[in-house]
This record gives sequence, C-alpha cells and structure tokens, in this order.
Amino acid sequence: MNSEPRPEMAAENLIVTNPALQTDTMFVNMGPQHPSTHGVLRLGLTLSGEVITKAVPDIGYLHRGTEKLMETRTYNQCVVLTDRWDYCSAMPNNLAFCLAAEKLIGAKVPPRAEALRVVMCELNRIASHLIFLGTYGIDIGAFTPFLYAFREREMILDLYEMLCGARLTYNYIRLGGVAADIDAGWIAKCREFLEFIKPRLDEYDTLLSFNPIFLVRTKAIGLISKDSAVAWGLSGPNLRGSGVNYDVRKAEPYCGYEQYDFEVPLGRTGSCWDRYFCRVQEMRQSVRIISAALAKLPSGELLAKGIAKIPKPPPGEAYAHVEASRGDLGIYLVSDGGTAPYRLHVRAPCFVNLAVLQEILVGKKVADVIAVLGSLDIVLGEVDR
Amino acid sequence: MPLTKEDVIARLLARLPKAEAASVPVRDYPTVRLGAPEDLPAAARLLKGELGFEYLEMVTAVDWLGPVRQEGFVSSRNPHPFLAQAPAPPVTPVAGPGISYHPILDMLWSFGNLRENLKVFLRLAVPRDRPEVPTLTGLFPAADWQEREAFDLLGIRFTGHPNLIKILTPDFLTGHPLRKDYVHQKDPYDE
Repeated sequence: MNSEPRPEMAAENLIVTNPALQTDTMFVNMGPQHPSTHGVLRLGLTLSGEVITKAVPDIGYLHRGTEKLMETRTYNQCVVLTDRWDYCSAMPNNLAFCLAAEKLIGAKVPPRAEALRVVMCELNRIASHLIFLGTYGIDIGAFTPFLYAFREREMILDLYEMLCGARLTYNYIRLGGVAADIDAGWIAKCREFLEFIKPRLDEYDTLLSFNPIFLVRTKAIGLISKDSAVAWGLSGPNLRGSGVNYDVRKAEPYCGYEQYDFEVPLGRTGSCWDRYFCRVQEMRQSVRIISAALAKLPSGELLAKGIAKIPKPPPGEAYAHVEASRGDLGIYLVSDGGTAPYRLHVRAPCFVNLAVLQEILVGKKVADVIAVLGSLDIVLGEVDR
Repeated sequence: MPLTKEDVIARLLARLPKAEAASVPVRDYPTVRLGAPEDLPAAARLLKGELGFEYLEMVTAVDWLGPVRQEGFVSSRNPHPFLAQAPAPPVTPVAGPGISYHPILDMLWSFGNLRENLKVFLRLAVPRDRPEVPTLTGLFPAADWQEREAFDLLGIRFTGHPNLIKILTPDFLTGHPLRKDYVHQKDPYDE
C-alpha cells in the first residue's frame, strides 16, 4: 500500500505539453446541482484525457446579500441574518457579529454568558465536523460513517432544541450575552452526550480514519504546502492540516478561551487526509473544552447591563474574529452612530478557502476532484453570503 | 526581539512618506492610512518581505457617500404573520460626531503575521468615480477572489488583476450593490 506522494504523478508529468501529442481538451461542467458540491457550486473543469488542466469554481448561486440587508436593520435584527451564513455551524457566526458590535458599544459580557458561548460554539464545532466526517465518507464512497455521524449530531441538535428551540439557526448569542440559560437537566444531558461521543470518536478511527482504502484514496492527493496555505489565506483545519500552527482561540483568545486547556491538532503533509484528521482530533479537543467549561460554570447574569433595545454604537470601526468551525471568521463593522451598521464586511473562511481549489486541482485526475473538494469542507451559504 | 505594533507602524511610515497613522483606527489594531495608490505595492512588499506579514486576511472597502435610504430598498419589513403590524423600529440615519459623508471609497486591507501574532490594517481613500487601485494578486494569491468580490460589490478596479470579473452577483445584475446609491432593479427572482 503506497499512500505517499509520488513524483511521477506530479502535475508537469501528467499534463501533455508536446504539441504533437496534444489532442482536444474536454470541458466538463460539474454542478451546480451535484450531490458532492455541498450546496450549489459549479466547477468548470478543462480536461486533457483524465487530467485536469484548468479548474474554475463558479460561485454566487446562494448570494443573498446579507451585508447589504444589514445596512437597513438594527443590530439585534442583524444577529438573525448571521445564522444564515454558515448554517451548519451558526453559533460562531452569532458570536463573531456580537463580539464586533460589543467592541463598538463597549459592553462587558458577564462570565456565565461567556462560558455558555464557549460551550455552545464548541458543541457546534463537533456537530459541524460530524457533518464533514459523514459527508466526506459518502464523497469517497463509504456510506456507513454518515449514519453514525448523523446519529451523534442529532443528540447535539436535541440539546440545542432544549436550549433555544431551534436546531440550525439559533439566534442564541445576543448583544451583551446569550438569550437563554441552561438548567441541571440540560447539563446532565450534555454530559451524557460527552460520555457517549468519546468512545464513538475512537470508533470512527477504526471505521474510516485508518481504513486502508480511505487512506490510499486521500493520503497522496490535494497536497497544500505550508507556504501555499498561508499565501492563499486558508484558515481553520485547512491551514492547520498543512502544519501551520494558527488558531484564533490561541492567538487572540476571546470569551475566556485562555482559561481552557486544549491542544491545536496539526497535520504534516497538507493532504486531504491531514485536513480530515485535524477535524477528527479537533472534536476530541472540543469535548475537553466543553467538559471543563461545564465543570466550572460561573453563576450570574446572562446579559450585560445597560445595552439599549435598539443600540446606537458611537461612530467607529471594529474588527472581531473567531475560530469558527471552518476557519477564521472575521467581522469588520463600521458604525456612523445610527441604529443600523453603516457597513459590515464578512471575512468568510469558506470563501477564502475555496479559492485555493483553482490551484490544487490542476494536474489531478478527474476522479480526485470530489475527494479534494470535500476535504476543504465548504458550506456554500458562507461562500456566497 | 519580538515585533510590536508600534514597530510595524514606524517601519511603514518610514518607508512611505505620504502615509500616516489613521485618525480613526480599527479598534485595538494598528492602522495606517496610505497617501496614494502607488504606496500600496511598496507597503505590501515591505510587510511581506521584511516584516513577515505573509497572510492577507481581508480586502474590502466602505462607501462613505451616506447611509442607504430605507424606503425603496426593503419592500416589506418582515411582518409578523399573526399579530397586527406594529410600526417598524426606527432606523435613524443620523451621522454621529466625527462622521462626515463624502464621495469616497475607503479601501481596507488586513495583513497578518502568524508567527508574531500581529495584524495590521492599511487604508486608502479612492474617489468614487475613478476607484483604481493596484492589485496584490502577484504577492498574495489570497487577493484574487477577495479583490474580485470588492470589484463586484463595490466597483473597485484593481489594475493588473489577471481575471477581474464578477464573482457573487448574477450576470444580469448591473451596478455594485454595496455602494450606497445602488438601486435594485426588480428581476424575476424577486417575487
């Protein structure tokens, strides 16, 4: 079993350059309706035989113009729209927007609310990575892990339903704190889930992570070097899969992440499998963080005092970023003193991550497109906003 | 010796005579306002080559023409299906102190130094009617799509960009939606 990169498979050796041997290239239109594009993404692939010579991702099918919509809505109404970017992990979206707005307003978030924010964001990271694990298995041809992953994810969604009534778009993290408290019943059910998932994560390793077919299929393709990952502005597990140690939770801790003891898993070669395995290990770290946060949950208020129902932040500009499930989600917010944000820009991790596809697909076999695309773990709602 | 925020600003200002520290910084981050579009490639080369800012985090802009008009843009302000419609919350487009509306596009770039854990913002004001800025795609591949986004939504021309075409909005849409004077033309998908 050879899963190491093979030099004879390098792009320059696969693409026919001799004009005498050149035959017609073929244009393959993949998507926008394709089960493996995780939304509505179109890829224009130019093929020479079975090898890709040019890949052009075409996005925008889900563009809803949330940045523009927010310019006519009050800050509290904007939180609802943030849920719709990355709908597979909406909590960090809420959080990033609230952190930026709180910087402008100057709100001091109570400690209990901060701990709850951490718990909910990390639960959402597990839920989001479980979707990745399941659907990536399907992309590659392993159907079983999908059923397991969604069974576990369902437990998280039940917890969210208990918490705020919503399963996907929560609107739970609000300006100055959070919307609802948790009780002993919720904590017990969450602990039960944490105990349930720990052995399951080991089970996934036997089921998928170290499955020889899966390894051969993912270990030597989609390589992104360290320099290339930084130059393309990748973030999240895609950046760390290439061995760059950068995690916003460590670099610029927010919501008291500095109090929690956790590791940042790193990949080595930047292959599809490294990105995959980073996510699997991140789930273990998230379990650690949630356990620690629940163990020392402070008591007290849920919302900061003195925030108006319709806040009017003083004029100014703020930038806040969080380590969302898919990478570094940044919010640049400008206030002119009115009740609506004057301008809001989302630095969407999926949008930036997807751009690297045009480089790493060139020279790959057409059969590997799905494996490479799936390993980037994009959500088109966030790519297009 | 580790690099500090002050060092970064000092190095940038020393290299670029026309630049100055921004009067309204992005809160908590060092912000430098460039004097002319020609400063940008020099600043980017200095940041990337000598100061280790290899990570282009964000490219965007703000249109300072004035707030968007409420009427005409959003037809229905989300009516409640069961309750009688209450008056919409007042959204008051009043310029606070220190804000003046003028027809410029204020560009913003954010660069990160992942080793030293630093971030620096660059600003540049360009006129609304001739928004031309040199591209950074040669130095940072990450600029490719983000510049296309700024072109699509704000109409900024990045000179030298290899593939400056629309990215998010549909082909039939004319205008740049994030400009403050953008008027939405109804299309078949609106209803």
